[in-house]
Amino acid sequence: MNFSGSSRPLILVHRAMKTVTGIEGRVDVMVTPQFYTVKREALHIRFAHQAQKIAPSLFDGLLEDPANHDYFVYREDETWVFIAYDPKEIAAFLESRGIAPQQVAKLFFAQQAKAHFTAPVALGEREALVLIDQTVTVVPRAVLHKQQWRTFDETFRPGKGVSLGVAETSLLTRKQALSLAAILFLFGIIWLSEGWRYGRTNTALQTKLETYYATYPSLQSAYTRDSIAAKYRKIDKIERKKRQVVGKIAGMLFKGVTLKSFEMDEKRFHAVFEAVDAKTLKRLEALAKASGIVQKQRKTGTTMTIEGKV
Amino acid sequence: MIWQRYRNELIVAAALLFALSAFFYKHAKRAEMAQSNQQMAKEFALLKETVSLKKIWGNKQIGKKVDALKNLVNPSKMVWQKKGRKLHMTLHDLTASEVNRVVTRILNIPVQVQKLKSEKTGNTYSMEIVCKW
Repeated sequence: MNFSGSSRPLILVHRAMKTVTGIEGRVDVMVTPQFYTVKREALHIRFAHQAQKIAPSLFDGLLEDPANHDYFVYREDETWVFIAYDPKEIAAFLESRGIAPQQVAKLFFAQQAKAHFTAPVALGEREALVLIDQTVTVVPRAVLHKQQWRTFDETFRPGKGVSLGVAETSLLTRKQALSLAAILFLFGIIWLSEGWRYGRTNTALQTKLETYYATYPSLQSAYTRDSIAAKYRKIDKIERKKRQVVGKIAGMLFKGVTLKSFEMDEKRFHAVFEAVDAKTLKRLEALAKASGIVQKQRKTGTTMTIEGKV
Repeated sequence: MIWQRYRNELIVAAALLFALSAFFYKHAKRAEMAQSNQQMAKEFALLKETVSLKKIWGNKQIGKKVDALKNLVNPSKMVWQKKGRKLHMTLHDLTASEVNRVVTRILNIPVQVQKLKSEKTGNTYSMEIVCKW
């Protein structure tokens, strides 16, 4: 019975296996000890990730090429089981037997299913898998005298497996891909949070605006606000101009000059000055020109009249 | 089963897509915020200007300030006509310093000057002022 819920076929992979044909879709494989090295240690370690960290040091001197090996660790009662395997070697072998590495969904190790080796499992005509001293081992069939054999089936499927992590056509290894993806993901999260922060409006300005609107509720409507602003802006502009004109006229009065008359309405102004002599009048003329408010200017004797717009 | 063959690249591509989307999201939000802040700053400036203009030209104390003009010169030299928010003031026999005082004071009050007339006759001045607020 398959309790794992997987619908993928489980294939037992051993050196003497023949080429597999007619496989479509993904498969799970279980490899024999021919493809891995196993060690069992009673260590005071609580978590699997801690055991995974020390795994390479346990196989020091045992493996031919440790750099190419990956490690699978699981707990078995009071001991930790460490399995060292070469994914590339397994992938190459699978390929030689007609199974593309990318077809492999999960990789299991025969050691994981030791409880099911109640009887030897035949591996071709010459070898068999048996449980010796709690370790699943490959032995020549010749040494076995038992006539009872166990058939390899779905019941051997362990709960936990590993991904083969090798795809020959892939430009990146699984490790590289995951590292790169993690970095990109991290950047993505940072940018998302920055974006979220930008999404919030400037609260200081918002508060100021709200305070103003609370004090002047009539200005909340944009239409009213614009209309009031336009009205007072126009008044402000004209009245400032009028006061500027009076200021400039006052600036033209100096010793020897008298303002005979001055008149200013909403649109225009008119002023008549009397100078004591021609020299004073000339100076007055220069002042009038420099004031920038005079549009018309005329002289009669020592009298000067100026006109302009407000 | 190409996707299985290039599974690693697909993982990286998905992460890249996520990162790029987040990057563009951030930039879009930043632009949105800048625009919103600009809009708010503009609105705030207009509001401030409107309030200050209203405080100057729409002040309810202007009437009282205008009334104070009555005391600037001797009442015998003045004809005072005030109707609502409009003042028509005629002055005669003023000295130059009195003219100065009246003009300076009236121009310092935020009223709309509709007419300001001054004429010298002999050694004295006559004036006519019409304003509203």
